[in-house]
Amino acid sequence: MASSETMGVLARLQARLIQSWMFIAFFIGFFLFWEWSIVLFDIPRFILTPPSVIVEKGWADLDRLIYYTYVTGLETVLGYVIAVILALPLGLAIAFSTILRRTLYPFIVCIEMVPKIAFAPLFISWLGFGLLPKVIIVFLVCFFPIVLNAILAFNSLSEELSRFSRSTGAGAIRTFFKIRLPAAMPQCFVGFKYAAINATVGAAIAEFIGSDEGLGFYIQIVTGNMRPDLAFAGIFFLTLLGLALFGCVTLAERLLIPWHISVRRTRS
Amino acid sequence: MNPLIELSGVKKVFGSGAAAVHAFGPVDQAIAEGEFVSLLGPSGCGKSTLMLMIAGLLEPSEGRITLAGREVTGPQTDIGIMFQDNTLVPWRTVRGNVELQLEMRGIQPASRKEAVDAILRSVHLEDFAERFPYELSGGMQQRAAFCQAMIHGPQTMLLDEPLGKLDAMTRERIRSDLQSLWMQERPTVIFVTHSIEEAIQLSTRVAVITPRPGTIDTVIPIDLPFPRDFDVKNSPEFVGYVRDTQEIFRGYGVI
Repeated sequence: MASSETMGVLARLQARLIQSWMFIAFFIGFFLFWEWSIVLFDIPRFILTPPSVIVEKGWADLDRLIYYTYVTGLETVLGYVIAVILALPLGLAIAFSTILRRTLYPFIVCIEMVPKIAFAPLFISWLGFGLLPKVIIVFLVCFFPIVLNAILAFNSLSEELSRFSRSTGAGAIRTFFKIRLPAAMPQCFVGFKYAAINATVGAAIAEFIGSDEGLGFYIQIVTGNMRPDLAFAGIFFLTLLGLALFGCVTLAERLLIPWHISVRRTRS
Repeated sequence: MNPLIELSGVKKVFGSGAAAVHAFGPVDQAIAEGEFVSLLGPSGCGKSTLMLMIAGLLEPSEGRITLAGREVTGPQTDIGIMFQDNTLVPWRTVRGNVELQLEMRGIQPASRKEAVDAILRSVHLEDFAERFPYELSGGMQQRAAFCQAMIHGPQTMLLDEPLGKLDAMTRERIRSDLQSLWMQERPTVIFVTHSIEEAIQLSTRVAVITPRPGTIDTVIPIDLPFPRDFDVKNSPEFVGYVRDTQEIFRGYGVI
């Protein structure tokens, strides 16, 4: 049993590799081109460095990079989690309340039009260089996509399911937990994922504007010191952070709505 | 004998003013207990509208509907309804979907395990109880939807084109299953369909619905023995009913 399971995993991995060899080849080709073009076109090292140097110098500065990843990671996760905790119930409330739909909903749509990042300098001038303004900016970036998708999610129960619920005589609470909530989950996850992608962007930009630690701070400082190699190392860690957050949300999606078409695997 | 379902002057208009659409009625009709009545008509004639009004899920604009002597003023919970699009939820297995009907009614599914097993067996789905709807064929999904709609043992069933999206062979099989079930249990059935043959094969009476606004001009009692298997369907009487019904629709300019 265990060995056949392992075999299955290996076989799947092999199939994946075969399927994606073109992509892998392209990826490797891209880095080789990068590496060689710097020699070929004689690009100065303070403008662009080859990947091999990025790895080497980044490795030498690993302690700082890891600590800054932790700093930026904390800002990102806090802002994101607070956004989820506040946006989901608010989306729910707006979806079910006519008054809120006529007042708060248009207001949120209007605010959504404003680029939230533009508030970053203000928050930093109000609240200083610490953790709080970054958390607030990440929160602002994440909050709106989650709230808007949650409103859409809780408003789009099919006519048939709503009729089915009524025909059983079930009350509002039972209908919510047995039908409305699970039916809304896939659309909610659209918002969660979109927010997860943008969360690190918010954190990095907030750090650009005013901070004394974090990956955004690091990228800005080393770029000022004509060290594109370290800037790329910072970007790499920022990307890892974004991928980690997105990966967690995708994992949660797999666990919470394994039945949904975007997630499920057909049984053989 | 008192009719189980009585429609008097039932009419439905959607919207108001110049944009109002007169969808259905007015219709007077009575349906007795244990009958199998088909509402037969072209798409858009308002037959689903009528079904929803009987179920109390849509309010008539005029007239009144009574079910077992009580006026229908809200959703009726002691009937079984199969909607045009099935109401299987993708996050539950077949068994879970059947149990959903019970849970929505506050009944512990554990206390009805045998009933759930029995109804799944009756439609040959016992081996698929732990499968999800997307793992089933269209015909199996409709069988599962039937179990979900009927697990609480209603004596009145409203079926809105339950076989509409299935292929001809699957339709044939489920039709005969439905007929055996009706012969055994004798529920009152209102069956919405646009298939003339299906209506004649299954029904004690066929209510022919005119194009919009839908009204019931003609009700044809089908005087053929049950079960109506292939022999009956090939009989001159059956073919006669089909031809007469086709004549009516030709008169409406539908076919």
